[in-house]
Amino acid sequence: MRAYILKRLLMMLVTLLLVTLLTFTLMHVVPGGPFTRDKQLPPSVLEALEKKYHLDDPLPKQFLDYLSGLLRFDLGPSFKYTGKTVNDFIESGFPYSGKLGLLTLVFVLLASIPMGILAALKNGRWQDMLLMGLATLGVTIPSFVIATGLLYVAAFRLGWVPTFGVEKWQGYILPVLALGGYSISFLARLMRSSLLEVMGQDYIRTARAKGLTETRVIVRHALRNALIPVVTVLGPTVAGLLTGSFVIEKIFAIPGMGAHFVNSVTQRDYTTIMGMTVFYAAFLISMVFLVDLFYCLIDPRIQYK
Amino acid sequence: MSQPWARAAAAGADRERIAATPHSFGVDVWLRFAKKPTALAGLIAVLLLLACALIGPSLSPYSYDKQTLSLAGVPPVFTAVVAPEAGRYFYITPNQKIIEVDDQGRLLRQLPMAQDLFMEKRVSYRCGPQDEGLVYLDYSAAKPALLDEAGNPLAATRVLWNRTYLLGTDHLGRDILTRLMYGAQISLMVAFIAAAVNMVIGTLYGGIAGYLGGRVDAIMMRVVDIISTIPLTLYVILIKVCLAGGLVGIIVALSSVYWVDMARVVRGQVLSLKQQEFVLAARTIGSGTRRILLTHLIPNAMGSILVTATMLIPSAIFMEAFMSFIGIGIAPPMASLGTMCNDATEALRSSPYQLFLPALIICLIMFAFNFVGDGLRDSLDPQLKR
Repeated sequence: MRAYILKRLLMMLVTLLLVTLLTFTLMHVVPGGPFTRDKQLPPSVLEALEKKYHLDDPLPKQFLDYLSGLLRFDLGPSFKYTGKTVNDFIESGFPYSGKLGLLTLVFVLLASIPMGILAALKNGRWQDMLLMGLATLGVTIPSFVIATGLLYVAAFRLGWVPTFGVEKWQGYILPVLALGGYSISFLARLMRSSLLEVMGQDYIRTARAKGLTETRVIVRHALRNALIPVVTVLGPTVAGLLTGSFVIEKIFAIPGMGAHFVNSVTQRDYTTIMGMTVFYAAFLISMVFLVDLFYCLIDPRIQYK
Repeated sequence: MSQPWARAAAAGADRERIAATPHSFGVDVWLRFAKKPTALAGLIAVLLLLACALIGPSLSPYSYDKQTLSLAGVPPVFTAVVAPEAGRYFYITPNQKIIEVDDQGRLLRQLPMAQDLFMEKRVSYRCGPQDEGLVYLDYSAAKPALLDEAGNPLAATRVLWNRTYLLGTDHLGRDILTRLMYGAQISLMVAFIAAAVNMVIGTLYGGIAGYLGGRVDAIMMRVVDIISTIPLTLYVILIKVCLAGGLVGIIVALSSVYWVDMARVVRGQVLSLKQQEFVLAARTIGSGTRRILLTHLIPNAMGSILVTATMLIPSAIFMEAFMSFIGIGIAPPMASLGTMCNDATEALRSSPYQLFLPALIICLIMFAFNFVGDGLRDSLDPQLKR
C-alpha cells in the first residue's frame, strides 16, 4: 500500500513537471511576445520591461526560476494588470469557484446516484424511460445552452432567482443546475448500467436465496459493487466541473477563477494563463489521486502494485 | 416446404441451399443500423443538416455578413401595431426604432425620425409614403407605445410572421437563417477536419504501440496516461492562444489533443488482432512491420475506429462552440454556431431567439451525431455494445 502511494506520488510529480514544461514552452513560442500591443513601444521601454520580468535571461534559467517560484507557491506577476500577481487572482477567485464546485459536486452525487438506482430498479418501465430520456438530453445539450435557457426562463421571465451574482444563496441555484447537468446525466447512466449488470450476478441470486429482503440485497450487496465504476469517473467529473465553470461563471457573472482564467485568455495575459493552468492541473491531478486512494478503500479486490 | 419441419430432400440442388439471402458485410451492417429508429433518424438529420449547411448559403438571397442596420433585431414572429391606414403595421424594435411592415409581414423600411421630444418622453416619426403625417413613440412607460398624430394610443396589434427574414435578423441586421446555415457549415467543417486528423494520429499511435508492444508500448502508453490526466479543455485553450489565427488555429488546437481515446481503442484492437493467424502468415511470407500494420491490422480494426471517430465529431463541435462562447473562437466576420450564441448573450433579455436558434442547431447536431455513433457501434461491432 505504502509503495503504491509513493509510486503514485512520484508519477504525480513527474506529470506536474511535464505540464509545467509544456505550458511554459507553449507560452514562450507565442509570436510577438507578451508586450506586443497595438501601439508600438519604444525599444528602450521594451528592454526595461524585459529586464524587469527577467525575460532577457536564457530560457532554461527562466524555466528554473519559474519552477523555484512554484515551489514557494509564487506564480509570478500579471503582465497585464500592473501590481497584481497571479496569486491574487487565485486567492480572490478560489472561494467562489470552490464553493460553486463543491455545491455542484454534492448536488451531482445526491441527484445522479438515486436517479440511476431508480432507473435500474424500474428497468424498462416509464420511470426508466423518463429518467434516461432526461439523461440523454443532459449529455447532449451543451452546458452554456442549459445555462442561458435557465437564465432566460427562471430569472428573466419568471423572476424566481436573481439574474446574476451570488450574494444571496438563491444565486447559486441556476449555476449549480447548469454546471451539474452533464455530470448528473452521465453518472446516472453509468449508475444504471452498472447496477443492472451487478443485479444479474450469481451472488445476488445467492443473497436472495438466503432469504434477505430486497432492500438489504440492493443496499448491502448490489450497491457496494455497482458504485465502483461511478467512483472511478469521479476524478474526470471533478475536472469537467472545473473547466465547465469557465462558461458558467461568465454567464452568471460569478467572480471566480474560471472568470479570471477566461479573462486572462481573451486579454492574452500570458503569465496569468500559465499560472492558472499549472494551478488547475495541480488541483486536478491531486483530485484524481485522492479518488484513486478512495477507490482502493472501497474495493478490497484491487491489488496495490 | 409446406410443413415447417419437413425433412429436406436428401439429394439434389436443395440440399445445401441457404434459405436466407446472403448478405455482404456492408449490407449486414446497414440492415442492423436501419433497424434502430434512433440511428436512422440521426442519419437522416445528419444528411439534412449537411445539405442545408453546404447548399443553403448559396441559395439564400442574403449573405452571412451583409449588415442591414435599419432592419436589425426583428424576430421571426412579432407583434405589430396596426396603423390608422389599412394594410400597414408598425413594429417597435428592442432598441426603439419603428419598422413599417405590410400585411404579409414583409419589412418595408425603418421610419425616419422627425423630432426627439425628450421633455414629453416621445419621439415623432414620419410615417406617410411622402413623409407626411407623424406617429409618436411614447417611452414614458416600461413598455413603449405608439400614439397617432392626435396623441391617441394605437392599441390594436396583430401577430405577424416575418416574411423578409424567415428567422429574423440579429443585432446588426444580418439574416439569421443564412448565418445559421453558414455557421453550421463552419462548425461541421471544423469538426470533420479535427475528427479526421485525430483519427489518423490516434490510429497510427495506437497501432504502433499495440503492434510493437514491450517497452515501446509501455512508454507510449505512459505518455497517453499523462496526457489524459490533464483536462484537455485547458490544452485546447492554451494551443489556441498560442496560434492566434482564427479558423486554422481552432482546427489545429482541436486536432492535437483528442487522439488519446482513439489511440487507446486502436491499441486494444491491435493487441488482440496481432495474435491471430493471418498476422503470423503475413510475417511468415516476409511482410514488414509497416505493411502488416497498415494493410492487415488497421483495416481489421476499422469498425471501432469509425465508431470512435463518429463520436469525436460531436465533442469537437461542442468544444468549438465552448471556445467560441468564451470568446476565443473564430474571428468575425466569419461565424460559427458558437460565436452566434456568444454574440446573442448580451441581448438575451430582449431578443432570446437570437440565442435559442443557434443553440437549437448545436443540440440537433449533437443529437444526430450521437445517435449515428450509437447506431454504428451496435451495428458495426456488436461486441463493443455496452
